[in-house]
Amino acid sequence: MNTDVIAVGGFVVLFILMLLRVPVGMAMGLVGVVGYSMIAGTGPALKLIGQTSMRTVTDYTFGVIPMFMLMGAFVSVSGVSKELFRAANATIGHLRGGLGMATVLACGGFAAICGSSVATAATFSTVAYPEMRRYGYPQSFSTGVIAAGGTLGAMLPPSTVLAVYAVITQQDIGKLFMAGVLPGLLAMSMYVLTIVAIVAVAPKLLPAGEKKPWAERLEAMKDVWPSLVLFIFVIGGLYGGFFTPTEAGGVGAGGAFILGVVRRKLDRAGIRTALLQATRTAAAVFTVLIGALLFGYFLTITQTPQKLTGFLTGLGIGRYGVLALIMVMYLVLGCLMDAMAMIILTVPIIFPVIMQLGFDPIWFGVIIVMTVELGLIHPPVGMNVFVIKSVVPEVTFTTIFKGVIPFVVTDIIRLVILIAFPVIALWLPSRM
Amino acid sequence: MSGPRTQTFRPLTLADRIIHVIEWLAACFVGIVAADIFISVLLRKFFNTSIPDSYDAGRLLLGVLIFWGIAATSYRGGHITVDLVWSAAGPKLKRFIDVFATLVLLFVVTVQTIMLFDKVRLTYQDNVLTYDLNLPTWPLFALAWLGDVCAVILIAFRAWRLVFSPELLHEEHAEDKAQE
Repeated sequence: MNTDVIAVGGFVVLFILMLLRVPVGMAMGLVGVVGYSMIAGTGPALKLIGQTSMRTVTDYTFGVIPMFMLMGAFVSVSGVSKELFRAANATIGHLRGGLGMATVLACGGFAAICGSSVATAATFSTVAYPEMRRYGYPQSFSTGVIAAGGTLGAMLPPSTVLAVYAVITQQDIGKLFMAGVLPGLLAMSMYVLTIVAIVAVAPKLLPAGEKKPWAERLEAMKDVWPSLVLFIFVIGGLYGGFFTPTEAGGVGAGGAFILGVVRRKLDRAGIRTALLQATRTAAAVFTVLIGALLFGYFLTITQTPQKLTGFLTGLGIGRYGVLALIMVMYLVLGCLMDAMAMIILTVPIIFPVIMQLGFDPIWFGVIIVMTVELGLIHPPVGMNVFVIKSVVPEVTFTTIFKGVIPFVVTDIIRLVILIAFPVIALWLPSRM
Repeated sequence: MSGPRTQTFRPLTLADRIIHVIEWLAACFVGIVAADIFISVLLRKFFNTSIPDSYDAGRLLLGVLIFWGIAATSYRGGHITVDLVWSAAGPKLKRFIDVFATLVLLFVVTVQTIMLFDKVRLTYQDNVLTYDLNLPTWPLFALAWLGDVCAVILIAFRAWRLVFSPELLHEEHAEDKAQE
């Protein structure tokens, strides 16, 4: 059979299996192996399964994923989200829109340690939403700012999605983490500016919170510094070449555990919850990774990336035209699947195109993760919006999407800035 | 979220206990890998020494934790999935989709387990050793493979429950979420 027919058939079957809720990794693995066997024979295809599975799960470099997940789980279970919000709220909550800004800052701080957008959105739906509602913030804004704040999880290090992108494209994980720092900070600043703009347009929409005395502000800050020190130590160590990424994750997990126990924030039940959370999430991610690598063999043997590259570069729309096309595709896919699945499924196909067009792989990682994260909040289907809806069932989807719109506009502007000025993403990695 | 719970807790069956043990084993392996890396870094950076075979132990235990984790995740339905059709479907179609997806999962993991056994066998035959202490690596490969065997058993059990007693599976999800 013609390889083109096998390739197209493979993609069709893959999408059908995924829509029938077969786990993404398993569907990719199955289609990859069956497709490969149709071209190279059953024996070699079956051999790939054992070799690829074992090689992937015993690769020390990939240990970065469960280690940072464990660090995030320990920190999350220790109640850091509440402490961060309390500190940010005590500092700027008395300004108009201050609770919204506090939510953005606390989301950024939490995301920086936890690394997951969806987890950040879910956590702050319980931490920040009731407080904003108590001060009379509208439901739409309160949920919208949490949905947007949640997306910071994929950009600020240690980002699980960036780590997975690094694994798939064989880029330096440390450099990708660093590449996310300035765009992540830019995102936080632009979200805060969006809130300032909303306040300027409709001052009564976002009332000022209670002004806290300095003693209370300092007290609230005291709770935050251990996590801050841990984050700076881990990411600073990675930046300075003191640790490898996997070691940084292990040190972070160990440090978060010790901090939690010493501060009496982590009891036996908490430790158990954190270990189980990290195990389940890591297993889910590794399943997709194994599937993606098996699917990669199928792509290679059918020469799909080369053919796609030839097709896209032959369109005559220029390299930025192709980039725009790819980003639109990601936004559409964002309606179908979550960030991790999208990255793992599409990057092996798209990455060769990007390389051929001469874009920087680290910069593209940041751009693609930002685009995918935009998919988490843009209508009609946004994962973060669904998560918030599940935690705050009384709010309608329409209300949440209404609140998200200003932040979606901000995200699009930010994407344009980062495409125009790649140095924002590349400056820190270039100093490593 | 914090409203009064009316959930009834049924006593754990033998199968439930086995599932909990498997989950716990996977969780313990994560802790062991983290401890291994943390202590190794401390020893190397501050005491200029290292745990022998720390690197090999770390990566092989990583394999163990992932396969045991896959067992736990597969039973709980915690894999990354596309829920677009499922979430819009009615109860009957939802159940059909769940059963179909679980059977495909069972097939894929069974094939993987068979092929992984080959890898364990080859590691044993080739007498692959660790770098520092020259210890055979096959026992850890075998331990990882056992995790995949557990995954097959748990997925088969999940499929059974989905077909014959789906309410038990849903109840477990509720308990699990309540615990977390």
